[in-house]
Amino acid sequence: MRKGMALVLASAMAAGALTGCGGGGSTGKAANVTTAAQETEAVDPAMYEVTEPITIKWWHALEDQYSGIVEQVVNDFNSSQDLITVEAEYIGSYSKLNEALVAAHAAGTGLPAITVANTPYVAEYGAGGLTENLDPYIEASGYDVSDFGNGMLEAAKYDGSQVSLPFLISTQILYYNKDKVDELGITLPETWDEMDAFMEAGTKKAADGTTEMYATIIPGWDQWYFETFYLNQGVKIINDDQVTTDLGGEKAVEIAAKIKEWCDNGYTYWTGTADDASSNMRQNFISGKALSVVHTTSLYNNYVDQVDFEVGMHWLPGAETKNQEIGGCVVLIPSKNDQATKNAAWQFMQYLVGKDVNMTWAEGTGYMPTRKSVLETEEGKAFLEKKPAFQPIFDNLDLINPRIQHKGWSQLATIWKNSMAELIMEGGDVQESMTVMAEEIDDVLGDV
Amino acid sequence: MKERRMNPRKASALKDFICVVPALILIAIFTYYPILELFRISFTDWNLLNDTYKYVGVKNWKWLFAGSGTKYLWNSLRVTILYSIGELSVTLIGGMIFALIFNRMTRGFAAMRAVVFMPKYVAMSSAAVVFLWILNTDTGILNYILSIAGINAVDWLGNRHTALLSVLMVTGWRCIGYGMMVYLSAMMGISTDYYEAAALDGANAVQKFFKITLPMLSPTTLFLFVTTFLSSMKVFQSVDILTQGGPYRSTEVFVYNIYRYAMVDFRMDRASTVAIFFFFLLLIITVATMKISSNKVTYDS
Repeated sequence: MRKGMALVLASAMAAGALTGCGGGGSTGKAANVTTAAQETEAVDPAMYEVTEPITIKWWHALEDQYSGIVEQVVNDFNSSQDLITVEAEYIGSYSKLNEALVAAHAAGTGLPAITVANTPYVAEYGAGGLTENLDPYIEASGYDVSDFGNGMLEAAKYDGSQVSLPFLISTQILYYNKDKVDELGITLPETWDEMDAFMEAGTKKAADGTTEMYATIIPGWDQWYFETFYLNQGVKIINDDQVTTDLGGEKAVEIAAKIKEWCDNGYTYWTGTADDASSNMRQNFISGKALSVVHTTSLYNNYVDQVDFEVGMHWLPGAETKNQEIGGCVVLIPSKNDQATKNAAWQFMQYLVGKDVNMTWAEGTGYMPTRKSVLETEEGKAFLEKKPAFQPIFDNLDLINPRIQHKGWSQLATIWKNSMAELIMEGGDVQESMTVMAEEIDDVLGDV
Repeated sequence: MKERRMNPRKASALKDFICVVPALILIAIFTYYPILELFRISFTDWNLLNDTYKYVGVKNWKWLFAGSGTKYLWNSLRVTILYSIGELSVTLIGGMIFALIFNRMTRGFAAMRAVVFMPKYVAMSSAAVVFLWILNTDTGILNYILSIAGINAVDWLGNRHTALLSVLMVTGWRCIGYGMMVYLSAMMGISTDYYEAAALDGANAVQKFFKITLPMLSPTTLFLFVTTFLSSMKVFQSVDILTQGGPYRSTEVFVYNIYRYAMVDFRMDRASTVAIFFFFLLLIITVATMKISSNKVTYDS
């Protein structure tokens, strides 16, 4: 018996060794991913039509405050035609949705027909073949994408292919308590150099030295909120070689040291990365414990509804440049779906990113209009009349850039925000901390 | 022709073996095969996003022991051991103290025992969510009580020095009743003869505890130690819900570390490498515990 067992084991090991010699492998999933090259040759519109009734799933990350609009949009679409029934499913935050989507993609089952994705994931998904290339669909159905803002459309591309379309687009903004700013006669900072004066003037301290009102709060749970301060001062978060970072460099260290100094002085505090960091920050602004906060434009209506003062929006202070970045989400179709599902998803996608639905979102939330035909025309003026606080965004539309696209981005982001939190909240040498962080990021960028 | 009969002893052994074969097959498919697969994947560059991968030799092992992964390996090892010490202390020492307190066979005490044991029935995820609220910095009841005592609000989950302690609070709340119950049942099994004999010799309560109860409970302590230690090394749920390994990886226990590589960074290759290391580590610890303790435990004659 023992001999027999040994034989079986030996042969099993040999078999393993043989497959090992193949020098490569596959995860063993159905490889029905159509490539861009195959599809662009000849686009037959009939291939992308929906011919039979179908129910499809739409994954999103839109929290409770948006549920009314989600329901309305889905119901409107379902009743507008007979063949497709869309079921909306809230998956969780962008990162939770990301985890669920990649797991489903790897398993090859349980994928939604269509899903939203936070803008920085576009590159990772595009490179990994998770997303369906939409170019042939756009061509076959003659869908006009040229009306989207250029930067937004660019942010939804990977390697020149339209792998997603802009859905709910936002950007970073400084929300401020206008009543108090006027009352105190404070000048909002236009440049990074003016920040020191603003931080000092905007902070109110009690007799015992504790802070009663912070000048501003910069979120630390997502590096998106502080990365423009680095980019606008010439720091390359990913160098041109694509495998190293400049975050350990002199300028980056100087910026981090400045932020730390403000925190140490009690002008602001670092939010950290915990789950409740965002709600705590909002609460501070709403209750008047913060004169201003850096946050996403998408939450404009949310803030306005909760405060008893006028909320202003101010473009973030710049330096050499005054650029900001696209935030929010795109919509995409997972490539491992069957063709009928993809076709139905494409129909729903066109509706979802369409101008009418977009304006519903823009008016009901703080997401931005995505269409040039709104942004650059009379319609835009009408929108501004309803929401005058959006003026700085309309003034600076050309300065809203696509995100940095890199396969290792989310790993980089995690390392960066953790390192910032640790440095500021626990203290330590800024140069040393940033050097260690940069080494770790280099390691990630060079090995993805 | 002479009929060949199998030796009855051998036949019986064969029958026994056939009976366990189905179990062996299941274990092989669902336990050993995945472990072998993990080992194989640790030599690849499999990113969950990609459909294909290639073999990269010992690159991941180098990353783990002499690369950027080393720092976090030791970090998670340190955090896991700290957590284990915490859970062991609560279950063994706390359980023992509770068992001594509640070792009264009256109806009132039975009800109190049930109350202490009850949390064990609550799903860890539910318990963790409840504690999220209890520990909330601004609205949590714990900080409210502290504020009455004049103590400033503590950022329980956001501060490196209190985050692991917060996770241990949930564990303690859930596990102390379990430790108590196991010790109680063992205490009842100790013959009263020992105590009577000790009383005749004039031993006091403390002496009785250290000379009789504690040694007689050593098999139970060993059982609790081994099972609690192994389960504590595998803690995940409470960390996932309460801190997600944060702040800045200060509560990143081993399993969460593996989860993070696999499901957040999508680096299945790195996750597999850490998982294999963890597997061998647990194996060595288990064998060592059993070996060391086998001759240090007093069994009732």
